[in-house]
Amino acid sequence: MKFPPEFGDPPPGPFRREFWRSPLRGPWLTSFLGAALLPLIVICALTGFLSHVAYYPDLGGNGIGEPGDLEFFLLPFDWPTSPSWLYAFTQGLHIASGVAAIPILLAKLWSAMPKLFEWPPVRSIAHALERASLALLVGGGLFVFFTGILNIQLFYPWNFSFVPAHYYGSFVFLAALGLHLVTKVPVALKAFRERGVIAPLRDDLANTEPEPPGEETTAPYSPQAPTISRRGLLATVGAGSLGLFLIGIGQVIGGPLRRIAFLAPRNNSGGPQGFQVNKSFTASGIEEAMTGSVWRLKLEGARSVELSRQDLLAMEQRTESLPIACVEGWSTTQTWSGVPLRDLAALAGVSGGAEATVKSLQVGGAFGEATLADGQVGDERSLLALRVNDADLALDHGFPARIIVPAAPGVHCTKWVRSITFTEVA
Amino acid sequence: MGELRERYGDGPLHLIAVVASFAIAGYAFLQIFQQSSPLNFIIYFAGAIIAHDLIAFPIYSLLERIAGRAGATVKLSGSLINYVRVPALLCAFAFIVWFPLILELDPGNYEASTATTPPDYLGRWLLMCAVLFVGSGIVYAINSRRARDRDRATDPQDARSQR
Repeated sequence: MKFPPEFGDPPPGPFRREFWRSPLRGPWLTSFLGAALLPLIVICALTGFLSHVAYYPDLGGNGIGEPGDLEFFLLPFDWPTSPSWLYAFTQGLHIASGVAAIPILLAKLWSAMPKLFEWPPVRSIAHALERASLALLVGGGLFVFFTGILNIQLFYPWNFSFVPAHYYGSFVFLAALGLHLVTKVPVALKAFRERGVIAPLRDDLANTEPEPPGEETTAPYSPQAPTISRRGLLATVGAGSLGLFLIGIGQVIGGPLRRIAFLAPRNNSGGPQGFQVNKSFTASGIEEAMTGSVWRLKLEGARSVELSRQDLLAMEQRTESLPIACVEGWSTTQTWSGVPLRDLAALAGVSGGAEATVKSLQVGGAFGEATLADGQVGDERSLLALRVNDADLALDHGFPARIIVPAAPGVHCTKWVRSITFTEVA
Repeated sequence: MGELRERYGDGPLHLIAVVASFAIAGYAFLQIFQQSSPLNFIIYFAGAIIAHDLIAFPIYSLLERIAGRAGATVKLSGSLINYVRVPALLCAFAFIVWFPLILELDPGNYEASTATTPPDYLGRWLLMCAVLFVGSGIVYAINSRRARDRDRATDPQDARSQR
């Protein structure tokens, strides 16, 4: 049997080259958009994997896979606690670069769209595999970007769990992107050699000419007269990208500049005590009575200790200005007061390096429990916070007590703490 | 080597890249399928391609074509359409990213998560669009006035005869 079979003439419609009439499409435009998109994807991917590292997935209950999975081989170092704004920075960048990529991604898909209908549909085994991989590239890209975009807006229309789908979906996308780069970087370099990297940006509308059509390019066989220059199109896409980037970054900035994030979920609308919340008390499912005078903190270690809120307030207090930085790409820096975690470890009879498994009063939920690494417990700025900005914590912020750890993802700063188990690290 | 190119259609580097790429993607799919609701995942993954390539792309191409025709009917010059196209595209980009908030698709979860009621995102987005379109109109007015002044300065005869 012969592969590929003879396909004959293309059917009418998009499979014919004459169907595609935009005078702007061609290898240079697609290459330029690709070159603009690639750095954003690299930043977004790297900060995404850094976030994975910051979760300490190898510690009890923090991970998304089973021990022994590939993910544990991809942890190059321990996530530090300094500088304290590190996670706010990397995760703010993750979200802002991700949303900023959307206009460029869509423009690039537009520019390459004739390829979806190329004829013959299969030229060789290599070509067939490459096209199959393009389904993973386009599907993976749209899937990863849009699951992220819906997640930060607290909208979950699907049944699968977001974190593993977004995480492993990005593996699919990046694997397909790697192959795409191997096959397309030579094409892009050729386009830049022939037409210059930025030379076509000098052409105004009157001087905008179609790229010369070729057998395997997207340049049009029967172009219409241009109605916008290439630089006009790219400037519009760039403006959209920059605007979305600023909206994303606005969620990380405090003060009046936060208004830039006017379309984002954690903007100037604030929250209880004037700052943002990741999960309200109502949503935690905790009975309010359990946070009252009956509340006790249980410490486990070499010995068990029970402490009331009065007991905790009677201990030596420490005050630290630290950001709470959410995986959803927003953060806010507040002044927290409470007891250092390492003082609590000592109270439980654990001195030296110790991991801490923190449990919340929260009923269910993905982060009712989190384990902090020894480096995080040992940092003198890591607190069991009782007060914020000289006031008792509001219920929405974790009253009677919450964890605050420098540079840790927000969901590891457990609220409504019920117990802490310290485990000595050899 | 020549035989590989003949049978496979490309060189050895391509083949190695293909195998590596599909191996990683295959591993990732296996991991996802061990999680909850693999079918739902596939629906969203494939749905993303269909929604973009076969629904969104034809619709916006059609809108482009209709706008172009309408512009031609009322005898707008070719580039004039950009005063509509550019602000419309920017509004569309903002909408594509922030539509769950703009359309208030899950205000209950917003309140449960943020402990605040959602601000009027639809109003904010519409205001942004209004500013962009008004701004575009102002730029158009300035540009067309400048062009008229320039025509008058360079060719007064022609400017008079057009009146």
